[in-house]
Amino acid sequence: MAGDEGTGSKETLISDLTRVRFTNLDKIMYPPLHVTKKEVITYYIRVAPRLLPFLSDRPVTMHRFPDGMGEEDFYEKDAPQGTPEFVKIFSHYSGTADREVNFVVCNNLDTLIWLANLASLEIHITLSKTGAYESPDLLLFDIDPEPPLSFDDVIDVSFVVREHLEDTGILAYVKTSGKKGLHIVVPLRAGYRFGEVRDFAHRIGKNIAKDTSHVVSEFPRSRDPGTIFVDYLQNAQGKTMVAPYSLRGTPAATVSMPLQWDELKRGVRAEDFNIKTAISKKEEPWGGIFDNKQKIGK
Amino acid sequence: MAEISEKDNEKKGKAAAPVIPHPGESTQQGKAGRPFWSGSITIGLVNVPVRLHTMVRDLSVSFRLLHKADGQPLRYDRVCTKDDRVIPWAETVKGYEVRKGEYVIFEPEELKAIMPESNRKIRIEKFVFYLSLDPVYFETSYILTPDRSEEAYSLFVTALQDLGRAAIGTITLRTKEYPVVVHAYGGGLILTTLRYADEVTLPQAFITSADLPAPKEAELALAKRIINDLSGDFSMNDYHDRYREAVMNLIEKKLAGEKVVYAEPHPEEAKELMQALKETLSTLSAK
Repeated sequence: MAGDEGTGSKETLISDLTRVRFTNLDKIMYPPLHVTKKEVITYYIRVAPRLLPFLSDRPVTMHRFPDGMGEEDFYEKDAPQGTPEFVKIFSHYSGTADREVNFVVCNNLDTLIWLANLASLEIHITLSKTGAYESPDLLLFDIDPEPPLSFDDVIDVSFVVREHLEDTGILAYVKTSGKKGLHIVVPLRAGYRFGEVRDFAHRIGKNIAKDTSHVVSEFPRSRDPGTIFVDYLQNAQGKTMVAPYSLRGTPAATVSMPLQWDELKRGVRAEDFNIKTAISKKEEPWGGIFDNKQKIGK
Repeated sequence: MAEISEKDNEKKGKAAAPVIPHPGESTQQGKAGRPFWSGSITIGLVNVPVRLHTMVRDLSVSFRLLHKADGQPLRYDRVCTKDDRVIPWAETVKGYEVRKGEYVIFEPEELKAIMPESNRKIRIEKFVFYLSLDPVYFETSYILTPDRSEEAYSLFVTALQDLGRAAIGTITLRTKEYPVVVHAYGGGLILTTLRYADEVTLPQAFITSADLPAPKEAELALAKRIINDLSGDFSMNDYHDRYREAVMNLIEKKLAGEKVVYAEPHPEEAKELMQALKETLSTLSAK
């Protein structure tokens, strides 16, 4: 009866194709849809060619749902006991934990499968890589609505953010968060500091808030009803965003879905992109993102 | 969160066996659990950021139902009572029985619209003396730990302790709003969800004290003496779930020598997963 995951159950599946030992494959991970862990792992395997480039050399935060969506869940930054040898570890001091944390770095398919087998439905990544941890290579605007405003209003605001960026010649990428909002991401050239990136994002937020009464850019107002919060605060060392193509722990088994800007129209919903639909998409809206590193203004 | 949700049998039947501590080394105290909720206690304009941890866990022995012939676990299916067909989730809808066999139907959106919104707040409305609270309304207790700001937390604990007061307020967990009481305990804070008044039946429903015969003086004196003789300190550690210990011992024995049910998945059950694995491996190696 040893082992962390799957104690009490000896249903283990071993295959020559992977070093991961699959456990509890028939466990229901999304009760409303009756989606099993087998289907979750299959999803991650199928989406791996698109997802792995975003995980590469970044510490991940696991958001685990051992008994499925809707039951007790937790975030885990530390590599758990029994982490196999093929998993790369990045040890770094974490401010929030106030100690050295052994982060999991998902640099290969087996690690991704292992994460899925741990019921880490959600995979979150940092905005910088292990080689230059103090220097972000991604800038993030996290845009969320407060009721009664809705996803449609978030879509409108995301286009305003995009315009502001394009006005200064900056290319921006968009994805659904898989929950209420949208993420706008800018790939950055090497050498920026988190502080200056955060200030830059904050400035854009403030400019938009000035012109648009329902947009707020300051954290204390972020939960005001009837507002859209353009959050710049995630641009800090060790902070994370949900990875593109990661599943979310939502009843509809949504995916944080990279989109083309012209796909993003009023009426689009986070639920449109889920464990069933996300893989069938042929194009890669964020393809080549890391060959398009942007320069941002002072 | 398991204690709070009304667990449906469907899920219960599928859950893996819990980790049961070895009877010989079972500790008297539960382990520190991970937080499953974070938010803040708000008192007017003041916020105390906190995390919520499970405090109580049920260690009762739970068995899984197996097919006697092949030792495989049974699955619960939703079967239509009319035609005995297994109904997929997508074809189900929630109904509230108003009269025998008559249901008011709800669409998920309708229920969602009236669900209380979780605002990550424990909103405090008033303070009362903790000892004045009636424990019959207590439901489940959780431990509150400081989230980032230990100063605000410490201040709140000390103030409650010094005044002997507890805070009364509300919390929304998942889809239900609960009245709660927060009080200082063991150097920290405990949150206890409360039952609504109409969920609790009081003894008055059965007994009117005026109808009870007055006890005879001599008998009362005797009864009081017996009670006094048996009075003393009490420790929860003096009590053990003897049935659980016996079952665990049996499990040990069975594990040591006898038959263990060993379930091996059939390869074709994971066929799609293996197919995906083959395809992805070839895609990745082509890159």
